[in-house]
Amino acid sequence: MGKLTIWLRERWISLLTVLVLIAAWEIAGWLAPTSPLRQSPIVPPWEFVLGPSLLGMSDYWKIQMLAPVPELGGQQTYLGAFLAMGWHSALTLYRITLGMLLGAGAGIGLGLLVARSLTMRRLVAMPLHVLRMMPLLAMIPLFQFWLGTTNLSAIIFVAYGVGVVYFVGTINAVANVPRRYVDYAQTLGAGELTIYRRIILPAIQPELFSSMFLTLGLAWSAVIGAEYIGVDSGIGRMIIWAEFFSHTGRMVLVTLFIVIYAVASYAILKRIQARVLAWMPEQQGRNRY
Amino acid sequence: MTDKPLISIESADCVFQHVSGRTVKALDRVDLKIREGDFVCLLGRSGHGKSTLLRSLAGLNALTGGVILVENTPISGPGPDRGMVFQEDTVFPWLSVYDNVAFGLRAQGRPKAEIDGTVQEWLEAVGLSDFAGSWPKELSGGMRKRVAIASVFAGGAPILLMDEPFGALDYVTRMDLQQFLIELWQRTSRTIVFVTHDIEEALVLAERILVMRQGRIVDDIQVDLPRPRDEEVRATPRAVEITKTVIGHLGLGQRTAA
Repeated sequence: MGKLTIWLRERWISLLTVLVLIAAWEIAGWLAPTSPLRQSPIVPPWEFVLGPSLLGMSDYWKIQMLAPVPELGGQQTYLGAFLAMGWHSALTLYRITLGMLLGAGAGIGLGLLVARSLTMRRLVAMPLHVLRMMPLLAMIPLFQFWLGTTNLSAIIFVAYGVGVVYFVGTINAVANVPRRYVDYAQTLGAGELTIYRRIILPAIQPELFSSMFLTLGLAWSAVIGAEYIGVDSGIGRMIIWAEFFSHTGRMVLVTLFIVIYAVASYAILKRIQARVLAWMPEQQGRNRY
Repeated sequence: MTDKPLISIESADCVFQHVSGRTVKALDRVDLKIREGDFVCLLGRSGHGKSTLLRSLAGLNALTGGVILVENTPISGPGPDRGMVFQEDTVFPWLSVYDNVAFGLRAQGRPKAEIDGTVQEWLEAVGLSDFAGSWPKELSGGMRKRVAIASVFAGGAPILLMDEPFGALDYVTRMDLQQFLIELWQRTSRTIVFVTHDIEEALVLAERILVMRQGRIVDDIQVDLPRPRDEEVRATPRAVEITKTVIGHLGLGQRTAA
């Protein structure tokens, strides 16, 4: 209880902004001109989003189990709505998690391989710049042409998107490791392998976490984009289905879910960061809010 | 202390190419022998080759001419026989105090039991036994310097190279650590080469002062003063004489392009 009170005392103003925004949305919903279509108000008010729109999500439950399937003439049910949200969310979360892990592994691994040798760095420098400049979302069709509109295709696309960032981030981070740590380790008798494992790897952790936060947003865009354009399931696909019939309320609802997932993944990563980087000297409260 | 030279530097040259294209002679035909167990201070102004000489000894800087022998073997790169304490803070922030002190022993692949014993012993010696599990960020600058000293001593190197290690510390902490280093040196009979630009520091520490100027060793002074070298000893005629000689070499009073 004490913790909550402190949190409220420090953050009440942030909380207030959120409440005001929610209220403003509601007012906008009532002020906006009425749409000719009953199911698609231009700014759907909350009671619409959490009522008909939420119930309507059950349209996207397509497995004949646990709840009726509206596509086959079944009833719209709240159970079906939650099952549909859960199922498609799980698919998307699975794709994004696996894609992130694959991309991080490959990007960091390759980065480490290249980073300590000048010749290697020069070898990859040019193609890497091209890769970095290539707009990620524009490459979705090409990826789908190569790999089809499958789970694997979405995973590899996410992995590619974040992998490039990790690759560049790792090379920069290794270049930024203070020379004195390596010198010092060498005078203590450390070989190249020990230097990699016990100096370079821990020293680049802070910068790698910056890459992770960067790729978190990127990975969400990539996975939603891949589903939006091709893969026939997942949160991104639900937005397309909603769009087919101009279900604005459902679009808002799905977007809200994405926001919740994104915030949750950010919070989890923040926790992991605090634990892994416990050794780091505190920065002078610069980023506090 | 024996008379056989542990380190011998023969006509060492080191020429740097400056960005502007100008060449700089950081070391100019340096010849030097250092006995086992000696405490040598390299004294000189900034940019006159002290650090270059020390880094060359450590194997972190390649000579452009000449050779450095340790126990009659030419050195090729850094090695665990020559530990180094830097002016900057080199204590690894991502390792606990214990792991920092154990770093050299682990890198050399020593057995676990030996590592544990040695680390405990050196943590005790520097008075940081209670901080074994702390992160370096939780220590003061002086304490971190003790960790660095414990780490190189624990590493077992017979030769310890110190590049203005106390330069960034406050006066009292510095005097404290000087006294402490002397005690460790007397107890362990390691050979120490210590770079400083501070005449007083050299007087407190050194058995032998080598004065460097423009990449050369211009004087070689035996500091035959009794220990501990407190204020009174440093005020004796012999100490004042050494100070005057050194100041003369460093070119104070004459205008030089430094």
